[in-house]
Amino acid sequence: MTRGHRTVHRMLWPALALIVGFGFTMALILRPPPEPPAATEPRR
Amino acid sequence: MSVGFQAVQWNRRKLVYDAILLAGVVLFIGAFMTIGALRKPPADMPAWINLRIKAFGACAFTMLTIILMIGPLARLDRRFLPLLYNRRHFGVLTFLVALVHAYSVVDWFATQGVMGDLVSEMTGSPNYGKFIGFPIKALGLTGLSILFLLAATSHDFWLAFLTPRAWKALHMALYLAYGVLVMHVALGVMQEDRRAFIPLLLGGSFALVTLLHLAAAWRERETAQDGEWLAVGPPEQIPDQCARIVAAPNGERIAVFRDGRQIGALTNVCAHQNGPIGEGRIINGCVTCPWHSYEYRLTDGCAPPPFTEKLATYRVRLRDGIVEVDPNALPPGTPAAIMLAANGE
Repeated sequence: MTRGHRTVHRMLWPALALIVGFGFTMALILRPPPEPPAATEPRR
Repeated sequence: MSVGFQAVQWNRRKLVYDAILLAGVVLFIGAFMTIGALRKPPADMPAWINLRIKAFGACAFTMLTIILMIGPLARLDRRFLPLLYNRRHFGVLTFLVALVHAYSVVDWFATQGVMGDLVSEMTGSPNYGKFIGFPIKALGLTGLSILFLLAATSHDFWLAFLTPRAWKALHMALYLAYGVLVMHVALGVMQEDRRAFIPLLLGGSFALVTLLHLAAAWRERETAQDGEWLAVGPPEQIPDQCARIVAAPNGERIAVFRDGRQIGALTNVCAHQNGPIGEGRIINGCVTCPWHSYEYRLTDGCAPPPFTEKLATYRVRLRDGIVEVDPNALPPGTPAAIMLAANGE
């Protein structure tokens, strides 16, 4: 890997990580909540 | 430095690497399918195909995560270098596993007789403006297309044809593929399956790849902040007939080799196809590139006659028992290696 590639790598990777990290966080926040467990019939 | 052409140059190390790789894939998919089928037995053929989609998708994503971890791991610890030597086969196999995942999705629709028009779905979907609900097939196809491009150009023929500079730039698109595929999972299965372990595994994998890259960059930054001469370490800490790689403040990497009592420093970039010289060894008295076995003399960075390639060398010195290297490169072929005294001074 030449110095030029390394410079691109060092700029590309953090920018991409921030974008994907933001996207992942938003997907997590907007994710529907877990379904509540099915209600069991009360014992008589 | 053979002049003969072979489609793929196999050796024992590559065969062992590929055998372990294949066994790992078979084990992963076998275990995933078995556990999945035992936990919730598939009722019909579409349910079986759905399980296959998940198994191959999870396997491809795990393989991609490991591939992106290998580079920084090898920079942090030499013991991971063997994983780097055959990473291209790892990449090609990842593409094939991802391709089976994509084929299984088509199979799932075909089995139920609900095959749609993929082109109109990709171009005319009203959901491109949405975040949750964004067409995940478009993300998956984008990732798969990049993986195909990288797998198809992974052979040395393409490295020579495109030139090492363009080839490496192209193969950095793997980062883009990883980003797109993280979102493919985050907006796809993570929204459908609401169990906690999916975001934990997905976020954990992404965080691990990011942290390893940060750690490797931080370590090199520490090296580059030293004074005019860079400290490499005591001679005995450079493995005999191997190198320690240090980063100069200008970002260039320098491979400092030890051959018995002889110490010499060369640029880490091979004159042939930019291979990582410092990850090679000294064989038959010559520094040998791990990619295509191009050879250079440690004393002056010149290939032995009749070959004419030359590498830039760097001045080295021993100061207070520590090997130091001048980060200013000398013209290629300049003699610069030193010989330590018998008592190591």
